[in-house]
Amino acid sequence: MQTFEFIRPADPAAAVATAAQAKTAQQGADVRFVAGGTTLLDLMKLNVETPTRLIDVNRLPLDKVEATPDGGLKIGATVRNSDLAHHPTVQRDYSVLSQAILNGASAQLRNMATTAGNLLQRTRCMYFRDTAMPCNKREPGTGCPAITGSNRMLAILGASEHCIATNPSDMCVAMAALEATIHVQGAKGSRAIPMGDFHVLPGSTPNRETVLQPGDLITHVTLPPPIAGSKQIYLKLRDRASYEFALASAAVVITVASGSVTKARFALGGVGTKPWRSPEAEAALVGEPANAANFRKSAEAAMRHAKAQSENGFKIELAKRCLTHALQMAMTA
Amino acid sequence: MSSSKWTRRDFLETSLKTGAVVAAVPAALQGQNSKEDAVATAGPNIAGAVPITLRINGTDRQLRVDPRTTLLDCLRETVALTGTKKGCDHGQCGACTVHVNGRRVNSCLSLALMHDREEITTIEGLGAPDALHPMQAAFVARDGYQCGYCTSGQIMSAVALLREPCGPDDAAVKELMSGNICRCGAYANIVAAIQQVRKSA
Amino acid sequence: MQTTQVTPDVSPVGRDTPRVDGSRKVSGRAQYTSDFYFPGMLYAVPVEATIANGRVVKLDTAAAEKMPGVRAIFHRENIGKIFRSIPERGFGGICEERRPPFEDDVVRYYGQYIALAVADTFEAAKAAADAVRATYAQEKPNVETHLEGDDDPDVVLTTYGPRKRLQSQRGDAESAFATAPVKLDEMYVTPAETHNPLELHATTAIWEGSTLMLYESSQGVVNLRGVLAQMFGLPKENVRVIAKFLGSGFGGKLYPWTNCALAAAAARQLGKPVKLVLSRKMMFQTVGHRPRTQQRVRLGATPDGKLVSLQHDYLYQRSMLDNHHEDCGEATGFQYSVPNLRVAFGRAKRNVGAGADMRGPGRVPGLYATESAMNELADQLKIDPVKLRVINEPKIDESLGVPFSSRHLLECFELGAEKFGWSSRSPEVGSMKRNGLTLGWGMAGCSWVAGRFSAAASVQLRDDGTARVASATQDIGTGMYTVLAQLASQKTGVPLEKVEVALGDTVLPEGPLSGGSLATESVVPAVFAAADDAIASLLTIATMTPGSPFENRRPTDLAFEGGRVFVRADGPDKGVPFDNLLRRANLRIVTGSGKSEAAFGNPKPKYSTHSFGCYFVEVTWQPEIARLRVSRVVSVMDAGRIINPLAGRNQIQGAVVMGIGMALLEHTTYDPQNGAPINSNLADYVVAVNADAPPIEVHFLDYPDKEINEVGARGIGEIGLTGIAAAITAAVHHATGVRVRELPVKIENLLV
Repeated sequence: MQTFEFIRPADPAAAVATAAQAKTAQQGADVRFVAGGTTLLDLMKLNVETPTRLIDVNRLPLDKVEATPDGGLKIGATVRNSDLAHHPTVQRDYSVLSQAILNGASAQLRNMATTAGNLLQRTRCMYFRDTAMPCNKREPGTGCPAITGSNRMLAILGASEHCIATNPSDMCVAMAALEATIHVQGAKGSRAIPMGDFHVLPGSTPNRETVLQPGDLITHVTLPPPIAGSKQIYLKLRDRASYEFALASAAVVITVASGSVTKARFALGGVGTKPWRSPEAEAALVGEPANAANFRKSAEAAMRHAKAQSENGFKIELAKRCLTHALQMAMTA
Repeated sequence: MSSSKWTRRDFLETSLKTGAVVAAVPAALQGQNSKEDAVATAGPNIAGAVPITLRINGTDRQLRVDPRTTLLDCLRETVALTGTKKGCDHGQCGACTVHVNGRRVNSCLSLALMHDREEITTIEGLGAPDALHPMQAAFVARDGYQCGYCTSGQIMSAVALLREPCGPDDAAVKELMSGNICRCGAYANIVAAIQQVRKSA
Repeated sequence: MQTTQVTPDVSPVGRDTPRVDGSRKVSGRAQYTSDFYFPGMLYAVPVEATIANGRVVKLDTAAAEKMPGVRAIFHRENIGKIFRSIPERGFGGICEERRPPFEDDVVRYYGQYIALAVADTFEAAKAAADAVRATYAQEKPNVETHLEGDDDPDVVLTTYGPRKRLQSQRGDAESAFATAPVKLDEMYVTPAETHNPLELHATTAIWEGSTLMLYESSQGVVNLRGVLAQMFGLPKENVRVIAKFLGSGFGGKLYPWTNCALAAAAARQLGKPVKLVLSRKMMFQTVGHRPRTQQRVRLGATPDGKLVSLQHDYLYQRSMLDNHHEDCGEATGFQYSVPNLRVAFGRAKRNVGAGADMRGPGRVPGLYATESAMNELADQLKIDPVKLRVINEPKIDESLGVPFSSRHLLECFELGAEKFGWSSRSPEVGSMKRNGLTLGWGMAGCSWVAGRFSAAASVQLRDDGTARVASATQDIGTGMYTVLAQLASQKTGVPLEKVEVALGDTVLPEGPLSGGSLATESVVPAVFAAADDAIASLLTIATMTPGSPFENRRPTDLAFEGGRVFVRADGPDKGVPFDNLLRRANLRIVTGSGKSEAAFGNPKPKYSTHSFGCYFVEVTWQPEIARLRVSRVVSVMDAGRIINPLAGRNQIQGAVVMGIGMALLEHTTYDPQNGAPINSNLADYVVAVNADAPPIEVHFLDYPDKEINEVGARGIGEIGLTGIAAAITAAVHHATGVRVRELPVKIENLLV
């Protein structure tokens, strides 16, 4: 690990001001916020992240879960994942979020990880994580050895010829389905970023993963008022029974009236280069009878543009089964 | 279950004396079991060391650490509390589990200086061979270990689990303990020990 | 589920016994290798090659050397001389990777150490190691997974001596196969697997003049002492190795790896203690692995299921320089009755690190192949797989032509089937269901060798009524501390909680390697002999001490039982506790020594000695999400007399859990682009977690095997892993209809 200066700012404004001096907020940042540290320290030990300054945000007043005036929920940036998952309002009204978090990582990591940190979780691609290997995400232009190498865990949606790295977060998949908004305090003021716009596709610049600029501090996430009567399921499929990233996962929020689907919000994990909201799958199901055949059709729609690599083609079928089964489970939830 | 008790005074010969070389803790930390504040200034002069105070097992420790020092390495190498183990150093095995402010965390993925003025509990703080915490005693009675290397982490996780929402059945315990890998595979006995403590509470 | 009877009045041996080292392990007081401190101790971090084939042309250490806290960057030019080690008579001087570190500038596997950074702190050493820059002349690495046999001679040298590649032969297997009415010809593949004990390999080296003390996470302190003595040109008595507690090893810590010599050499050069702890990544690169195997099994049988021919041809990958032998054919010759048999092997060199014994070497992948073939044959013939084994149960070891000392495999099958409920099996694929899940049932038999290494021990009786038993063997999680205490308590009558145990130190009497499941078997006669020797001395003292109640008796008039000395004719009730006699004689201790000879690998033994067992496995299958899980296992073991059933059941359960990993999760993958074991961490190399472990019911038949030792104990560390994978893949087939012959079974295999 390279050495660094450790800064504990008095308030968010001071944090923003210091971070604004960074050259970038993306890969290679020289200034980083540290909350739980479970991603950042992991990557600093691997020399994938090499900040010279760490700004500790753990003691800033960003750790509350509160109702919003419009009946939604405001989740502070440094709320621990475990607290969020067990919050009574989340369990009652945004159950898919609770389920998603509890399916991720381990109890210890959930106690450390924060809302903002989880939004910024980095890929688990083995080549990205090894500085002895070339990697377009770490150093654009050096190549992607995953495409020609071991890619079983990598993406089938949203990939480019430059990068096929999967986004590994479970929480983000649920937040995508819940249409969360991410609130950022930056050098030039505050702004609200819809979840779907927060993460960017790799394209030819896989070193850029979010729309964040230097100085941007995530202060909180808001969820819209819960969809009345919605059934919510998070289903995660993986090789072992726990403590592993997804091969494929699905977050579904649906409402059904008179046997037909009236509202549908679906997102997929383990298969996309970003948390994968699937409007195609939603459109294929809204207005249709809620039955197994239609669930499967919706899943087929979700995978229409899926592109297999040498080792992960099985994810296409697996993701279809995952979404289909999540919908079945939602019906009896 | 056997009626024989675990050894309270154990008879394992582990004192190691050879010639002039004696296994020792860093000089300033001899007497670490005392409740007085210990100032660890002995040992190597670390460039860029930062002062922090950690309340470890109820005792304030004023330390100077390399900012890069993880909480795990601080416990093991700076304070010489080696009960907490390093299995992977990347949050993938749980052997390094300790409590920070009463919650279980992987100490390898946290910096010591992030925890300035916080409460750290390690396995040593839970109980000693002649005064075992009920969870520690249950692990002995149920043979909840083989090589013992993951055991500190398992027990710290298990004790924290007692304070977390967890369903009554074995499946719930197994899921919530899955962040502690046991390569020897003593999972059945680990779960049995935990359930024994939960049921007697 | 606990099933062994516990009778409190029974002797210490055979009774469920909480471990005597348990209170240390649960309170963080057990000190493993990296838990010791020495004044002035430095930290060492190796630098790993990032190519798998080629040469180091230039090593740029200038920047690293200048970093704060750095004491030295060692490499070929400045590490000093490290010699080679050759095997010694008996069982010593053994290393799998024989090339001393830094011996030349050639790189032959990814991660090979090319330099060593030593600094005041771990952080400084790691940063310095990361700052070393190597320039390579790189060649294309060969990590090809498809194996073809190299052009090896008929007899090859392996770590344990020469081996004929035509390993076993009787009758005419080829013709018998050609004319067999029923044939099976399949290939089974097991990937490279990595031990991954939770404790990272570690070495702390301290020199005092020309004596070397090494703390090492070692399964064989005596062997390691011999290797280091050779490597540093020292008399053995100048080397001391200590391993009081080990975070297991599963075979990977049997023999020294390059970190031992590196830490010792660095400590010598710097004149300070040096601690070297491997990273988890290095655990995949430089400390051995179970090599990939590719095994062809051909069975010829009658329509009634009687085997007429068995051919087992196997290949395994090996490193460029070393000779680890993965003896897949070890059990094939005697596991079944078959008149025509041929077992042969070949090897394929690859740019990988040296292979190593990994729990159940050879026989674990070997029985996976042959037991899988038997299961497929059973399905082909529509014969119950248990019945197929019964039909082919041998009366003697047909490869050696001698009887088995104690083989109750049929009883294992019978009990296992009963406990599992096997009689309600319906053999059609997918025909069994429960709670909306499809069930799959499978079974397999297994075995593991029994025998003894040579061993020595001492037993002391003391004037405070306590005893001490000592041997330079190891406890790798197997419960050896407790076994030694139980054995000493049994013989001396000293209660368990008053028996002190010393192990894991080469100053103690030479104990056995903790390998091959042989350590427990080996210490029994040594400890008993040592106890007898101490008691004999005690009886003599009793007759010679002025004022003793036995003064002027002859020692042969006396007897010893339950810690008391008495005149034979009087019986034990009138006995005098031994500590009284010692105090009267003003003796603090009386010491007895015991030795026992090896009984292992004899090419012409009187009996064939093995443990046997079986597993019955249930999996659940949910095709909607392609989810397959092992839901319950019943295992029955004929493994001799079990000294501590509490630890014994744990051992078998743990091995079955590892077997779930072997069958469904584990594989080390070498990237052909650079030869790296690419999944070199515990997230990408997937082992079973708590949620993967189903209820595992263990039964021991507990028949003593007196050929092995007086207690009748055989070892149980490895048998739990031999054969379980075949039972699991049979269950997978029963549930899904998919026959997987290359481990691990993956979700993509089942998505059809």
